[in-house]
Amino acid sequence: MLLDTGYRPGPTAALRESLYRIRALANNNTLIRLRDPGQTISYVVMPMVLMLVLEPLYVRAVEGGTTKVVTGLLVMFSVFAISIAGNAILAERTWKTWDRLRVSRAPAAELLIGKTLPIYLVMVAQQTILLVYGCLVIGLPIPGNIPLVLGSILVWAFTLLAIGALLAAIVRSHGELSVITDVGALTLSSLGGALVPLSLMPEWAQAAAHLSPGYWALSMLQAAVAGDTAGTMLPAAILLGIALVCGAFAIRRLTRGWGRGGLL
Amino acid sequence: MLQAIDLVKRYGPVLALDGFSLSVAAGEIVGLVGHNGAGKTTFVEIVSYLIRQDSGHVTIDGRPPSASRGRVGVAPQHIALYPSVTVREHLNLFGKLSGLRRAALDSAIEELTVALRLGAFIDRRTAALSGGQQRRVQAATALINRPGLLLLDEPTAGADLETREAMLDVVKQRAGDGAAIVYTTHYLPELVELQATIAVARNGKIIARGTYDELVDGLPGEVRLIHDNEEEVRVSTTQPAATLIDLLGRAERPISTIEVYNPSLDDLYRSLAVSDAS
Repeated sequence: MLLDTGYRPGPTAALRESLYRIRALANNNTLIRLRDPGQTISYVVMPMVLMLVLEPLYVRAVEGGTTKVVTGLLVMFSVFAISIAGNAILAERTWKTWDRLRVSRAPAAELLIGKTLPIYLVMVAQQTILLVYGCLVIGLPIPGNIPLVLGSILVWAFTLLAIGALLAAIVRSHGELSVITDVGALTLSSLGGALVPLSLMPEWAQAAAHLSPGYWALSMLQAAVAGDTAGTMLPAAILLGIALVCGAFAIRRLTRGWGRGGLL
Repeated sequence: MLQAIDLVKRYGPVLALDGFSLSVAAGEIVGLVGHNGAGKTTFVEIVSYLIRQDSGHVTIDGRPPSASRGRVGVAPQHIALYPSVTVREHLNLFGKLSGLRRAALDSAIEELTVALRLGAFIDRRTAALSGGQQRRVQAATALINRPGLLLLDEPTAGADLETREAMLDVVKQRAGDGAAIVYTTHYLPELVELQATIAVARNGKIIARGTYDELVDGLPGEVRLIHDNEEEVRVSTTQPAATLIDLLGRAERPISTIEVYNPSLDDLYRSLAVSDAS
């Protein structure tokens, strides 16, 4: 006797089934991440070392140097973490497992949530760890408005996830993704003032900084750390806009698949 | 169960399907054969709702493929497994995605572990498995929820004897339980063993359909005798058994070797290609 009985669940049961499938997908992706944690560890440890080394230099060079070194390196290495999202999604293409999931009962939205939720949590954890480390070890004052800082981290991680998903949807190989994320991350984050404080950069770079998501992330996080709610809102809105555009394109590609082409 | 009518699919300048029609009833195994590029995998992908046809209609138990997600078990031609995930974890994932819970899931995993002989490596990561073992795992993930329609795209390609035997046993059993099965392959003997209806695809359409006996009826096989003095007799014939008896009756010297060749898949392709062209 075959199991297909034509049974259609009601709304509550459908939601329960949906959550059940999302949990199965998220568990699977968490397993995959935990079994290959190298990239994540390096994007947490490297900025910790650099914060220690660069903090005296920042403090001497600019006002509020401690905040700038912590948030700057946090932004820079969180941009590098785009490759975690990109590689995780691209791997589904190269393993050809994405199409197997698309054939399952789980609709595209569930597949995307199940796939990206663990990556999103990794990104949030990375930024949170770096911020806590900044407070405990580097001397960053403990922010007065913790929910504002947490909200900023959630927005920035969401933006990075969407950019990573977009890249994974359009590149043809892990090599291409690596070039784009490494070069792009270094360019965007340093142009945004994450490596060298913006005030020390040439005028053209200061003008161009506004084009970089890194700049808006830095502005948002520095405002959030300072407890400046109004100053946090504009960069957060811009980042959410970027995330929605990138995310919409990525969702479209991931939902429709790539057919037989698209990979080297 | 499955009805595909007049499917057309184009990839740029390449016409992959050109009026492809095929139906499969519940409990029926249809062996879809054809050379590479004949349109077999494109057909499987359309029925799986992975790609859309340019024109034509597909229904699965009266519903379009878009409304049949999760009711179709698909084992694609290429291996598509997570390298760092174990066999058991794969079965858990695909079982849960198809809605199985606790006891039903455990029971389905247990059944497939036995049927496809996965027990020896069920807790190993798939990257550490041989190609044949990976094929069995892939088939198991497609079979886990007992789907009403199974699409098995070359499930035994490059597989060893154990894999082939296990796969054919499970396919026969599932068809016996009422599943409709599309089984693409290049190995005609498998389809004979499965007692499948054979559909021959060529240039994006089905050009012949029938049982093995119906399709090869009238195609010449060959009888080959070698006498003890190494003299060889070859006779092309549509009735190998009768011809062999006749040759044996007329043989004047002892015979050291007897070989009878039945028509092969290539003979079938060739004959269909000739009739198609004419």
